Amino acid sequence: MFAGRSLWLMAGLLVLPVAGAIALGGYEQRIMTLAGIYAIAVLGYQLIFGRLGALSLAQGCFFGLGAYVTGLAGVHLDWGFPASFLASLAVPALLAALVAIPVLRLESHYFALATLGISQVALLIGVNWTEVTGGANGLYGVPEIRFPGLSLISSEALLVTVWSVLAAALVVFGALTRGRKTHRLTLLREAPEAAAATGIDIGANRLVLFVASAAFGGAAGALQAHSIGVVSPAVLEFQVMVTILAMTVIGGRGHPAGAILGAILLAHLPEWFRFLESHYLIAYGAALLVAVIAMPEGLTGWLDRWLKEPAPPAPTGSDPHPSRHTRSGIELSLRNLTKSYGGVTAVDGVSLNVAAGEIVGLIGPNGSGKSTLINIASGLQSPENGSVHFGSSEITRSRPHERALAGLARTFQTPPAVPSLAPMAFVLAACPAGMDDGQAEALACGCLERAGLTALPQATGAALSPAQRRGLDLARALASRPSVLLLDEPAAGLTPDERTGLATCLKSLASEGLGLLIVDHSMDFLLPLTDRVVCLATGKVVAEGTPEEVSRDPAAIAAYFGSGDS
Amino acid sequence: MGDAVPQLLVNGIALGSAYALIALGFVLVINAVGAVNFAQGDLVMAGGFVAVILGELLTPHLGDATAATGPLTLLLTMLVMAAMGLLFSLLAYVPLRKKPPVSVFISTIALGLILQHAANAGFGPEPRTGPALLQADGLQLGPVLISMQQIAVIGAAGLLIGATGLLLTRTQLGRRLRAAAQDPEIAEAVGINGATCIAVTFALAVALAGAAGMLLSNQFFVAPGDGGLFMLKAYIAVTLGGWGRLDGAALAALLIGVFEVLMAAYVSYVAAEALLYAGVLAVLLVRPSGLLGETIQRRT
Amino acid sequence: MTGPVLSLETVSVERGGARVVSALSMAIHGGEVVTVLGSNGAGKSSLLRAIIGLGNTSAGRIRFAGEDLTGARPRERAARGIGYCPEGRRLFPGLTVEENLAVVFEGATRARKERITEMFDRFPALAAKRGARAWSLSGGQQQLLAIARAIMNTPRLVLLDEPTLGLAPMVIDEVLDAVRSIAASGAGVLLAEQNVVPALRVADRLLILSRGAVVHDGPATALAPERIAALMLAGTEGPSV
Repeated sequence: MFAGRSLWLMAGLLVLPVAGAIALGGYEQRIMTLAGIYAIAVLGYQLIFGRLGALSLAQGCFFGLGAYVTGLAGVHLDWGFPASFLASLAVPALLAALVAIPVLRLESHYFALATLGISQVALLIGVNWTEVTGGANGLYGVPEIRFPGLSLISSEALLVTVWSVLAAALVVFGALTRGRKTHRLTLLREAPEAAAATGIDIGANRLVLFVASAAFGGAAGALQAHSIGVVSPAVLEFQVMVTILAMTVIGGRGHPAGAILGAILLAHLPEWFRFLESHYLIAYGAALLVAVIAMPEGLTGWLDRWLKEPAPPAPTGSDPHPSRHTRSGIELSLRNLTKSYGGVTAVDGVSLNVAAGEIVGLIGPNGSGKSTLINIASGLQSPENGSVHFGSSEITRSRPHERALAGLARTFQTPPAVPSLAPMAFVLAACPAGMDDGQAEALACGCLERAGLTALPQATGAALSPAQRRGLDLARALASRPSVLLLDEPAAGLTPDERTGLATCLKSLASEGLGLLIVDHSMDFLLPLTDRVVCLATGKVVAEGTPEEVSRDPAAIAAYFGSGDS
Repeated sequence: MGDAVPQLLVNGIALGSAYALIALGFVLVINAVGAVNFAQGDLVMAGGFVAVILGELLTPHLGDATAATGPLTLLLTMLVMAAMGLLFSLLAYVPLRKKPPVSVFISTIALGLILQHAANAGFGPEPRTGPALLQADGLQLGPVLISMQQIAVIGAAGLLIGATGLLLTRTQLGRRLRAAAQDPEIAEAVGINGATCIAVTFALAVALAGAAGMLLSNQFFVAPGDGGLFMLKAYIAVTLGGWGRLDGAALAALLIGVFEVLMAAYVSYVAAEALLYAGVLAVLLVRPSGLLGETIQRRT
Repeated sequence: MTGPVLSLETVSVERGGARVVSALSMAIHGGEVVTVLGSNGAGKSSLLRAIIGLGNTSAGRIRFAGEDLTGARPRERAARGIGYCPEGRRLFPGLTVEENLAVVFEGATRARKERITEMFDRFPALAAKRGARAWSLSGGQQQLLAIARAIMNTPRLVLLDEPTLGLAPMVIDEVLDAVRSIAASGAGVLLAEQNVVPALRVADRLLILSRGAVVHDGPATALAPERIAALMLAGTEGPSV
């Protein structure tokens, strides 16, 4: 969760504002209470916008919903604090879960519109369902926070309660993004295909974070209702959303400290820009504009260097044979696969087997269907005909992450680039979720070692050479402990020396029982490496045999003639 | 009630054709830079206030009765707004052109907020009446009286939509705007200046928003907080009309206007709004890539 | 014509951080068709993109008609007289055939209309489709249109990236005729291909590229097609010829 400097920073950010506000009293206490309330909503927004990278415009709606639930429970139903608070968390979370399935699969601009539409509907209901919501006047007399036998009426008590809830929210936030989960979420956001190919269930992760973000928003809204004693449609207006967005962007969407910093800063802005009177939102807009242009990482972007912990010493007990735990002996079998795009048949009745410990080369000119075949095998594309079998089970319709969990891994022709993840973190993200941290670190070190990357587990992704990026992608694939590995042009862009190193690595993997299917476009890499080569041309297998046979095969040579007179 | 139908239809078409101008500008920017201009509605509002100011400046000189006052105000409003569009692109787009589109989305939210509250500070929250496009008596059709102002709004909006269409299809500049929007990289490689195209697109898009602002400001007044709803209508029109399609967005916007007026007259305005949002959510539920599908090859 | 229209001096190109063309030198004269052969990933497209300015030239010099192109934007290179027909045609899909031609033309309206008429005379298949949107054309028509677009401004150098890819043999003939006629009009042509037989039919000179390096450079007639295909399939720097 939080450790070292991060822990101190978070503790300081929780204690100092509260202590300062109590010391200053009065107005400052009210502002800090507001800042604490918003920090909870912003923390939730960091989950969806920061961690998932999805521009939701519904966080203000969840906030308002939480406020209304607390208002209704307090005014109409006379519920006590714990019950009304829990309901204020549950109702937005329930709404999020209900809309998640259709909404979370939308593309960014439709996702923004859909979440905005939901917010508008909520606002319309809040204004017009007068019998329940009190309409434009809202609900008056929301009771103070009362625990059985304990009344918290003083403004100090409210401040401390709000910031205690914020501390609890930070604990939940930490649990949701703890350790390797953070790396997995970064991989999911920056390279979703690679994340799926590594066994990460994208849909489930998104659902959990979206629902959690709604609950955070609801909690903040509930506290807001208690804090001002009134719930009016203003809590559902777009202004709340813009405030949360501005706090998130300005504070920094990547670190929970950003939620607190952004909320404290923007809560004070109206005070500092007093000359703008009620038009302080101009200052919000200007601050948001400056932040998005000049400091896209927000305030915590500046803290990042300081927060970077000194590198932990590499674990000693690294596992040199990451594949040895795999269920070796599983065979991949592609049977009679067909796939066409817009009338062109990219893959036309291809069958192919990869046995344990076997290295199969897949060769063919541009457009012959190699990549499509790999995509079908790994689940990124689905075939029109034919089936994919893995061991004893048919996986034709399985989703990519299910295949990865079953032991079928792949690398990508363009290795996923995630500059914000250090190589070690990148590989850790791919280690099985159930593993304990020590085991995972040992596994990740072993995988990096196999890929020839021992020297740089702390470098950032941006500083890697093309060969290192390919190696890292291979290490990522190995970390999911596959029994069959599909490699899409692993040698592209590599120098002759690097290719030799890669070949040695692949051979030793195969000798441990891993089955390999390697796509390449010429024979020099595959010739000394493979047991068997399959040559594709216009979606069909035109030659198959030992590398020597295929490189002399007239049909294979003809495939490289291209369409012309051949 | 039947007697009101012609006037309601005219009202709806007038509102819808103003929406169509807004949506047109919205799509032009989406096509050119791949980002949603969240401030498009606030720019409509700004156009309304520019028209209010220009109207106050011009009327003492030209007089209310002069037939040229309205059209001249419209023209000047569009020129001022085109300049504002250039400034807008310098602030909201140029510094972020190498960043992901979501950054532009946020910068336009920020600028929209600034516009809205600057207008609030300058003019106060109360609605103001913009200048009329035309001073004329109503048109008597049998028992029905139809407002000439509304007819003029429809005519002006139709003219502007037509002119935009001609600009885009019949002029070398328009062809270049479309080419640069469809494939910026290749446009640059075959000799087209992409940066100029984007600047011109923003100027045009904001001028259209400004025109809509003036056209709406007489009948519906203009207030600083109006922007959000205009932007939403444009956003919905683009989603229903096929992401990136100018004709689809304009048509959808027109239908939204008619739907809104008829629903408001026979049921209630709230029902019109709620059905509109529910409708677009239902569409996205069934067709996650929009009603007409996101055209893989973006067309104009 | 005195000097070469295009000369590359030890040009290296990077794409996505990887060096995809290394230290390549070559020259093209007006009226000459130079074909760069190589399989997928050999670096052909990256080379052409670097010449028009879309790629990163990390080292070396590109000269066009004696002038150094280093630092020039793509549209400046186009304006100096380089026509580019990109991989995958990359037409403006929503523009009509006529608009795709008109949009790139530099000059007065009358000259533009005359030039378009010339193009339609030259490519009758396009004339019949002049009002159709580019996306609705067949692959062959799209390719001809992309070539026509590349030569609208009568460039001195034309870059053609895999113009025969995915086309039927008859259409390939038509494309190759167009390539020949461009060279006959005096422009230099750099043709990137992975299809050996069609490439050889128009090439004056042949470069074989493998993993970003030239493995053969010589007159087009120096190698038998089978030998070339074997070279490409093997990808090794076989016995030099």
